[in-house]
Amino acid sequence: MTDIDINLIQGLREQSPKAQRQTIERFGNEVFAQVARMLPAVEDAEEVYQDVFVKVFRNITMYDAEKSSLRTWISRIAYNEAITWLRHKRQAVIYFEDREGKAEQLSDAEVEETLGHPNSDTVQLIRAALKHLPPDERAIITMFYYEEMSLKEIAYVTESIPTTVASKLSRTRKKICKIIKMLQS
Amino acid sequence: MTEENINALRQADANLREALKMDEAERAPMPADLNERLMQRLGSAQQEKKSRRTIWPWIAAACVAGVMMVWLTPPKTETTDVVAENNPKVETPVIEKTEPKQVDEIPEEVETNEAVKPSHVRIEKPLLAQKKPVKQTPAAETLDEANTDMAVAETAEPQEKTVTLTESDIPITRPENYKYTPEEIALLKKQANEAYLKWAELELEISRYTLEQASNQ
Repeated sequence: MTDIDINLIQGLREQSPKAQRQTIERFGNEVFAQVARMLPAVEDAEEVYQDVFVKVFRNITMYDAEKSSLRTWISRIAYNEAITWLRHKRQAVIYFEDREGKAEQLSDAEVEETLGHPNSDTVQLIRAALKHLPPDERAIITMFYYEEMSLKEIAYVTESIPTTVASKLSRTRKKICKIIKMLQS
Repeated sequence: MTEENINALRQADANLREALKMDEAERAPMPADLNERLMQRLGSAQQEKKSRRTIWPWIAAACVAGVMMVWLTPPKTETTDVVAENNPKVETPVIEKTEPKQVDEIPEEVETNEAVKPSHVRIEKPLLAQKKPVKQTPAAETLDEANTDMAVAETAEPQEKTVTLTESDIPITRPENYKYTPEEIALLKKQANEAYLKWAELELEISRYTLEQASNQ
């Protein structure tokens, strides 16, 4: 942890408006993107975004620097706020549910070929498939592939354990392949 | 699946990473005024907190003061007696105005004993003066005249004047003040009987006198 981080956290604990503004400027874009990709509308994301920072500033005394970085801690709050919002609002979100376990029957080679070999058509199909994933799975995929967070960090954000996150990632990869095959057929 | 395998997958799934990058690039940007709105919300929340902190002690103090006032204020029926006993200062000006003879004797006592114990004169007179306004009836006035001795009767005139001072406490216009107690009613009857007897005696005397006069003539 750098001196800047230490000073920032100290300022937040003292409820300094300057420190709060710095935090928003530093982590605001990431938080908004994280929330926006989980929620259906931008207006909802704006509401949850504000709630996230209000919660961050109110509960800053509960932050433990030994457990995670400030960024990961804020990301965890954002993830929980978005999930809570979805549960409370009971927003109708349509996504693919593999109830019969057909995605699990796909071989690793088949999945690697679909997701690995560079192909612009496949990229578009993957983008379409991502929209059919449940919000929590989409969030995990994005955290791992786009934000390049470690399994431990993702586990902290989702209040889980690294092995569970790993198996969830593997399952989601196969699910994406299954959706692509469905779209192609 | 180990972490190494998973990290290897991250590098291998190029299409997936590319798709996510494109998705994120196309995502609607954060509204420019969102942070300002958030700061305003935080500022207003802090102001509310501060105002709550500063106001609540005053509200608590006002509540305590209100309770104290209610608790310490004596009931209205006892006010006159309590004031007469505990607050001789309030009553002394009345005496000075109404009884110039006694005032000449009192001032020394007032100066010396005011705080410790009120003088005999000052205790008695307010009590006498306040009994009448409580009853507020002409009958009550006649009762007092009948019951008091000559010494007290001398001071009756100034005491009647002090009635005006207690009007603010118990206004005579209140109908409930015209109620008679059973003792008062009994006394009234007794006095009426006595008056009737005296009148009969007087009539007898008059008739005797006229008879005597007539016989003399």
